[in-house]
Amino acid sequence: MRSKEEYLQALSDCVVNMEDESVGKVAQEYIAAGYPALEGILKGLVDGMQRAADLYEREEYFIPELLLCSDAMYNGLDILRPHLEKSETQKKHKIVIGVIEGDTHDIGKNLVRIMLEAAGYEMHDLGRDVALQKFVDKAKEINADVIAISTLMTTTMPGMGRVIEMLETEGLRDRIKVIVGGAPISPAFARKIGADGYAANAVDAVKLVDRLMGADMMSLEA
Amino acid sequence: MSGVNEMTPLERAAAIAKGEPADRLPCNPNMANGVARVYGCKISEFNSDAKTLAAAQIASYRRFGYDSVRIFTDLFTWCEAMGARVKFPDDDTADLLEPAISDVKDIGKLQPANPYKDGRLPVHLDAMKYLVEEVGNEVACSGGVVGPFTNAFFLLGVDNVLKLIAKNPEAIHALCRVSLETCKNFAEAVINLGLTPTISEPMSSCSVVSPKTFREFSAPYLKELVDFIKARGKGVIMHICGKTSHIWKDIADMGVSGFSIDNVASLTDCKHAIGHQVRILGNVDPGGVVYSGTPLDVRLKTLEGIAECYDSPKGYTPMSGCSLPVETPFENIQAMMDAVRDVGYPVRPEKVEALIADCKKQMANL
Repeated sequence: MRSKEEYLQALSDCVVNMEDESVGKVAQEYIAAGYPALEGILKGLVDGMQRAADLYEREEYFIPELLLCSDAMYNGLDILRPHLEKSETQKKHKIVIGVIEGDTHDIGKNLVRIMLEAAGYEMHDLGRDVALQKFVDKAKEINADVIAISTLMTTTMPGMGRVIEMLETEGLRDRIKVIVGGAPISPAFARKIGADGYAANAVDAVKLVDRLMGADMMSLEA
Repeated sequence: MSGVNEMTPLERAAAIAKGEPADRLPCNPNMANGVARVYGCKISEFNSDAKTLAAAQIASYRRFGYDSVRIFTDLFTWCEAMGARVKFPDDDTADLLEPAISDVKDIGKLQPANPYKDGRLPVHLDAMKYLVEEVGNEVACSGGVVGPFTNAFFLLGVDNVLKLIAKNPEAIHALCRVSLETCKNFAEAVINLGLTPTISEPMSSCSVVSPKTFREFSAPYLKELVDFIKARGKGVIMHICGKTSHIWKDIADMGVSGFSIDNVASLTDCKHAIGHQVRILGNVDPGGVVYSGTPLDVRLKTLEGIAECYDSPKGYTPMSGCSLPVETPFENIQAMMDAVRDVGYPVRPEKVEALIADCKKQMANL
């Protein structure tokens, strides 16, 4: 039988090597051996996704590779999640994410969702081409901490500012952070529309949200 | 038009090509559906009304005096003509709702589009006819076409295609093949009207797929499209968004005449890599600078682009790094044109540096 460390390494390797079919079996063996699910997620699957993101930043992996890695991560999560202790699944910050109305490119948004989910946030994905009001409505409904808006098209950028105005009108702006991202978005643009932050990529998005949330969520040491 | 007694864009291009005096570099702020704001119509009118589509392009060209007009409204015109469902907002750019097929087994059912019959392609072709009749004798008129690889994503759905690249390469090749036939049919119709096709191939970007994937799945079909257009006597301008430095050489070796780069790519690096093979166009940040900056920001970035790239051997056209947002302020578009006019031609680097210094001084005094 493998040690816990060997299993964690194997889970991580499955994700980074895009082994979406074999990861489930490794996860089952890990649980059967009596090791904690949370550690399997954070030090196994999420570690693998972080390695994949590093490879992406070094331009060794690209979007198709990252998507296959994330498939592997989700397949592993499906096995490990039901074994989490109840206390481990509570008190997560909630994030509404979506690609803004007028844009159907959701590759970048999906990566951000995956990485934030991997980092332990509760994600509510509205998909792509999302009507402005829907961001606000969903955030109200689930009592969200953050709204994350993405676009790949310059043509849709003005809508991001309008979402912020809607939050102000509804008196919600103080308790919901708004972050924006996507290829045409810059820190200058984020400032101009009064967003709380901008992230250039999925890894930075996690750092940004951690910072905005005061990083008081479940830590890797958990 | 704001410039007085300017050369026409065609006169300017001819003079520069012959090494004769000219008034300024060519410039293309790259207005997309924002021309509707100049003309005063709704963007949805472009979906069915060829005259309005042409008239809006012409109105914007006459107002700013830039050097290229193009009929192109969105990336989904070609997949729509092959069966995809597209959403048409009242006054915004069209969107992909549903790809043409959802199952890889149905690739064989896809048919190349007929540019005279399918979807909005006839509207675009009619608009090109009006465009070239009205301004074809003074400015370069082009018809946008999406590249075969990018169109393939919209035929089967983006996530499907991204995953099949590794899992079912044969399917992707079959998809690109039928996609290419649509691109060629449309390009031929554009050329028959006397316009030049320009290719947008965003999914080939290194921000999306690896150079290896590009070479295996996109480049063969893209090259066939470029060859097809060149064989009919037209030069090809290509735009790829995002990071592209790893595939610059591949693009240049396809024999395109111009390559337009995104603001995340470096003009200087591009000049050194392929400036001896192709004209370089770019790359003022359309969102961060032209849309959300001040006229002075736009002026500075335009001047800095000229300073970097004016001496590129096959020529340089100041341009935005991608299509401008619809609501880009007119004064910012004007600022780009004015900067190019103030530099004049031939470009004297010391003059550009002086204009840049002056710009920075003005900014510091704000």
